[in-house]
Amino acid sequence: MYQYDTYDKTLVHQRAKQFGGQVERRLSGETTELEFKPLRLQNGLYMQLHAYMLRVAIPYGLLSSEQMRTLAHIARKYDRGYGHFTTRQNIQYNWPKLGEVPKLLEELADVEMQAIQTSGNCIRNTTSDPFAGVAPDELEDPRPYCELIRQWSTLHPEFAFLPRKFKIAVTGTPDHDRAAIRYHDIGIRIVNNDAGETGFQIWVGGGLGRTPFIASVVREFLPYEHLLSYLESILRVYNLHGRRDNKYKARIKILVSELGVEKFTEEVEADWQHFKEGAMKLTREEIDRVRKAFAPPDYEQLPDEDLRLQAQQLSGDRAYAQWLKNNVRSHKQPGYSIVVLSLKAKDTPPGDVSDTQMDAIADLSDKYSLGHIVVTHQQNLVFPDVRQKDLPELYQALAKLDMATPNFERVTDAICCPGLDYCALANARSIPVALQIAERFENIDYQDDIGPCSVKISGCINACGHHHVGNIGILGIDKHGQEAYQLMLGGCESDEASLGKVIGPAFSQDEVVDALENVLRKYVEVRLSEDETFIQCFRRLGMQPFKEAAYASDQG
Amino acid sequence: MAKVKGTHHVVSASLTGTGAPAYLKSDGSWASTLSEAAPFHSPEEAEARAKTADRSDQRLVCDPYTFTVLLADGTPQPISERERIRAEGPSVRVRRPD
Repeated sequence: MYQYDTYDKTLVHQRAKQFGGQVERRLSGETTELEFKPLRLQNGLYMQLHAYMLRVAIPYGLLSSEQMRTLAHIARKYDRGYGHFTTRQNIQYNWPKLGEVPKLLEELADVEMQAIQTSGNCIRNTTSDPFAGVAPDELEDPRPYCELIRQWSTLHPEFAFLPRKFKIAVTGTPDHDRAAIRYHDIGIRIVNNDAGETGFQIWVGGGLGRTPFIASVVREFLPYEHLLSYLESILRVYNLHGRRDNKYKARIKILVSELGVEKFTEEVEADWQHFKEGAMKLTREEIDRVRKAFAPPDYEQLPDEDLRLQAQQLSGDRAYAQWLKNNVRSHKQPGYSIVVLSLKAKDTPPGDVSDTQMDAIADLSDKYSLGHIVVTHQQNLVFPDVRQKDLPELYQALAKLDMATPNFERVTDAICCPGLDYCALANARSIPVALQIAERFENIDYQDDIGPCSVKISGCINACGHHHVGNIGILGIDKHGQEAYQLMLGGCESDEASLGKVIGPAFSQDEVVDALENVLRKYVEVRLSEDETFIQCFRRLGMQPFKEAAYASDQG
Repeated sequence: MAKVKGTHHVVSASLTGTGAPAYLKSDGSWASTLSEAAPFHSPEEAEARAKTADRSDQRLVCDPYTFTVLLADGTPQPISERERIRAEGPSVRVRRPD
């Protein structure tokens, strides 16, 4: 993985020291909250319901075992012994004390981590495919480009105060978007052109929140050397024309919608003509320098194992077989697999991990996955490089950590925001709904019968739980001071992107999981075969049968 | 702000050092529990106290605001779910079990 150079190291340490001074002045009363707030936000420090919350960036989700151990240490020393992996591949600490944050940032800087630009109206952490670098269907590893974007966007003076926050995602697998690029301010898809050259398809104007949009393509093919100059032109047009008078209309998706994609593209292309051959033009040498950091490791030459046979040999261990089927994915290197560590065990808030679990994960990654861990935007972890012959042993170790729940991409693999239990913006709690779903659908056979179905839960319209793009989305709302939940159906975040539609009047917290189960029972009843997924069935039949099922008082 | 019959109003803020909820007491100091908050009859009086606190206590607390409560045996009880959770803490386990 990428190692910080002298510039990176100096920058993050200087930034921690600078924030130390800012904190000191705030605590002494020399600066007011009004003056301090934009400074703390650009260092990832929010004020939430019960305490400060620090969001730490995990660039494109990639962590070393050493970094994971430091995250565990920080959870122990500065927080309450746990961290929360987020829906944008970051980690949040829910209880840091203001006076201790600069020291915390120093400790992060020691392992090449930081919290710069994890909040505020600037370019946020660039996210990517959690299977990047190891997916068999990948055209090219997107992480070198994510890293180039990270370096370019960090403290970029022109884009420090954008009209609103700005998020970029990159995928290197053109036919299987696992990075939700169509719901980002800029989505980048590595593609080949007709001449067989590799470059980028550029999508702009996607986003969720109160006004969700699917992004539009503004350029079908961008040669690799122009990546940063083109991004700069998009940002420059947005910075110039994006609205600053109304925060709810300030995201680039609104600008693209109001201008129209053709006009927006014209503006970008016109700007780009002035800058495309300038300082931002990437050389092959520079790309290769960064790519070297992501070169494939020295894999052992191993044969692919028959995983089904392996499961049978373990005296028909059904739990192991289910885990192999659901949480273990194909790797580009024979004899290796990608393993998804589920952070969706029953009774546990999605994405929460204790300090001791983080330490154990770090140790397991050293033993079984070449010391690398990836955080997914679905709030799970990934071991990208596991020898297939190690799978039974790894499974046993993960089961002891309660991270072998075989529910990847199943109903209980729900993602959810912190909701009203923590968040100052939320209208309703989301974690208890996720826990209810985990309990209701605990039986993995039941989940396997339903098959792939994404459930996404947000505690407010800001949509940190991505409810618009869940096959089933749940949105918490405030109904006369009480929590209520809207059910949405038909969302999809991948290649056949679609936004979910609200099914009808909101449900109470006691009713919403019943309604969800009724919808899924209806699906099982009306699907053409077990091969027809929930989303396919919904697209075939439309809302009506599911709506009727959701509001049926009791389906027994 | 319209006055609803039987309701009172309290002033709350976040402590600068920790971000923890703080509630304005009748003597002008800050308490960590809602039960110690001073209930104001009128929303205007509560708003005025919040504005004063924003100026005079800006080192100690951040972003004072008011919210509506009911009194039970003289003790403020939050009406909204938000203020109930803020006063009592998260309703879910705050640590993943080891």
